[in-house]
Amino acid sequence: MTLTSAVATAPRRQSRRGASFRDAGPPVALVVIFGIFAALSPQFRSVDNVQNIVDAAAVLAVVTSGITFVLMMGSIDLSAAGVMGASALTVSLLVANNRNDNDYGLLGIGAAVLLGCAFGCLSGLALVLLKVPSFMATLGVSAIGLGVATLMFAGVQPNITDTMLESWAIERFLGFSYLAWIAAACILVGWLIQRYTRLGRYAFAIGGAEEVLTLSGVRVKPYKVAVFTLAGAFYGLGGVMVTSQLGAGLVQAGDGYDFSAITAAVVGGTLLTGGRGGILHSAVGVLLVMVLTNGLVQVGVSPYWQGGVEGLIVVAAVAAAVIPQRRRNQVVK
Amino acid sequence: MTTHVAAFRLPVRITGFMPLIALVTLVAALTVADADFLTQRSLTAALRTAAPLIVLAAGATLVVLCGGIDLSIAALASLSTVLLALWLPDLGALATPAVIAVAATIGAVQGLAHVLLRIPSFIVTLGGLSILSAVALVVSGAGTVRVVDDSTVKWLDLYLGGYLPMSAVMAFVVVAVIAVVLTVTPLKSWISATGYSESAARLAGTPVDLVKVGAFCVSGACAGFAAVMLVSRQFSGGPTMADNLLLPAVAAIVVGGTAITGGHGSVWRSLAGALVVTLLRVGLPIVGVPSAYEQILYGVIIVVAVALTLDGSKVSIIK
Repeated sequence: MTLTSAVATAPRRQSRRGASFRDAGPPVALVVIFGIFAALSPQFRSVDNVQNIVDAAAVLAVVTSGITFVLMMGSIDLSAAGVMGASALTVSLLVANNRNDNDYGLLGIGAAVLLGCAFGCLSGLALVLLKVPSFMATLGVSAIGLGVATLMFAGVQPNITDTMLESWAIERFLGFSYLAWIAAACILVGWLIQRYTRLGRYAFAIGGAEEVLTLSGVRVKPYKVAVFTLAGAFYGLGGVMVTSQLGAGLVQAGDGYDFSAITAAVVGGTLLTGGRGGILHSAVGVLLVMVLTNGLVQVGVSPYWQGGVEGLIVVAAVAAAVIPQRRRNQVVK
Repeated sequence: MTTHVAAFRLPVRITGFMPLIALVTLVAALTVADADFLTQRSLTAALRTAAPLIVLAAGATLVVLCGGIDLSIAALASLSTVLLALWLPDLGALATPAVIAVAATIGAVQGLAHVLLRIPSFIVTLGGLSILSAVALVVSGAGTVRVVDDSTVKWLDLYLGGYLPMSAVMAFVVVAVIAVVLTVTPLKSWISATGYSESAARLAGTPVDLVKVGAFCVSGACAGFAAVMLVSRQFSGGPTMADNLLLPAVAAIVVGGTAITGGHGSVWRSLAGALVVTLLRVGLPIVGVPSAYEQILYGVIIVVAVALTLDGSKVSIIK
């Protein structure tokens, strides 16, 4: 699905020479890397393992969908880990669990997503009102989220007993877990927002040329806050999905997802300078990261290296994206 | 240097004294809350806790002064504790300088990647954080590495004259050395010029790239030295031992009043900032606030302090 759509949108950018070629890069890389691992490892090319990869990619895909909007604006978001921790604890305390008598089901899940929105909104407000650069604002918000999660954790791990939430990670439909389908739905929703709403188009425009947009009379601040809020909602849902996988609410639910999501988005072709890329690029990026990490484990590399591999590919991908513009931007902070 | 800037804008003048005011207020407030706080014993304990944080923050301050950020310091310190613990049996006294040299090299490599590949510093160091953590996990086998013979690093855990913790004295020395070297050489103006306006500095002939790589190198070395302090205190090295020092270190820098936009600030400010952060940390339980609020507090003070010290006139578009 992602492949054909990426190609279908390519002609719209014909004015930029080579753009369609650049868009085709990540999907081609995905196919090549998949092919290499499939040739190297018999376990890797098994149907079970492909299901594993897609299931494991679900949470990362949802988080990456959120962060993609922020990156499209040229901002950065490091708050995913904190927001996911807070929402994981919220949902595990609101659905049926061993800590209290709550049993709100879907309402609890909604509350956790709303909490994610609130945290995202906080990041956005710190950015536009206090003028705090987004990486600092979201670093702060992440710490606040972790603190809130720690407070709710209160030393006793809440194990969920809600059958619906538990079934998300276990039950399968057409071979994939419910979580994978939720992730696919999130990508679809993200794509619709990006393609058909003013919010999505302005996010692109803010990343491409914020000054021009401001001069043409668009009040960009509300849209910035809205984008961070939207991203927060995705992180909130990500936290819920991790809780479903673990069967318990943990403060560390979102550990590492912030960086993995940035890696996936950047590898998929979303530039950190903003204005390029999109949800479908990110979806390809997520699959790339998951295939790479899964494949490396299958051929015998220690799973501890996963973070290291992500670190290397993010630096390499950013460097590769910057090379064509080296002469233009002299100042890099 | 701060005075001529402060003369033009009132807020800057206030933020110039902010860390000292905060420090005095905190000590006063904690003394009121608990009369036992202002004793030699608890002050010594606070200084001892603050020492690694001071060193980490001092090094990273140089990077912030250049207008960048180093998010890898804590992960680098963690890796350094593992390396030190592994190398102590074989290298003995040489292990300490070896670890600091390796940490400095890793810092310099990140600086080179930032300068040569033109990648924003936060993404280089975020990538570095991830890579260094992975290396630490692999090298240590994801477990704590015990130090059996700590005779060569024990000096850092001793007390000078029976009262002053040696680690705090060394942290002070590190800050003083950095400050003096910056003042007696043209480095201070080079760093400030790079931070205030990189393109102008470049046109004026400042070796901007070299200054940046140097800043990252010092930042790495400081992370290495902070690791030595941690090992001397905990008798072990761990792949995540220093990871929770990243937020306090960033908080210390911005609370000290060093502008995240670069140019304005100093290592002395970060020393004061680190003391403020440490006092907040040890003070929370004293006034009866659960330590879970610690994280929330760090988050809030980072955002507020950055907002207060930001040079808003310099950047029209904040991303």
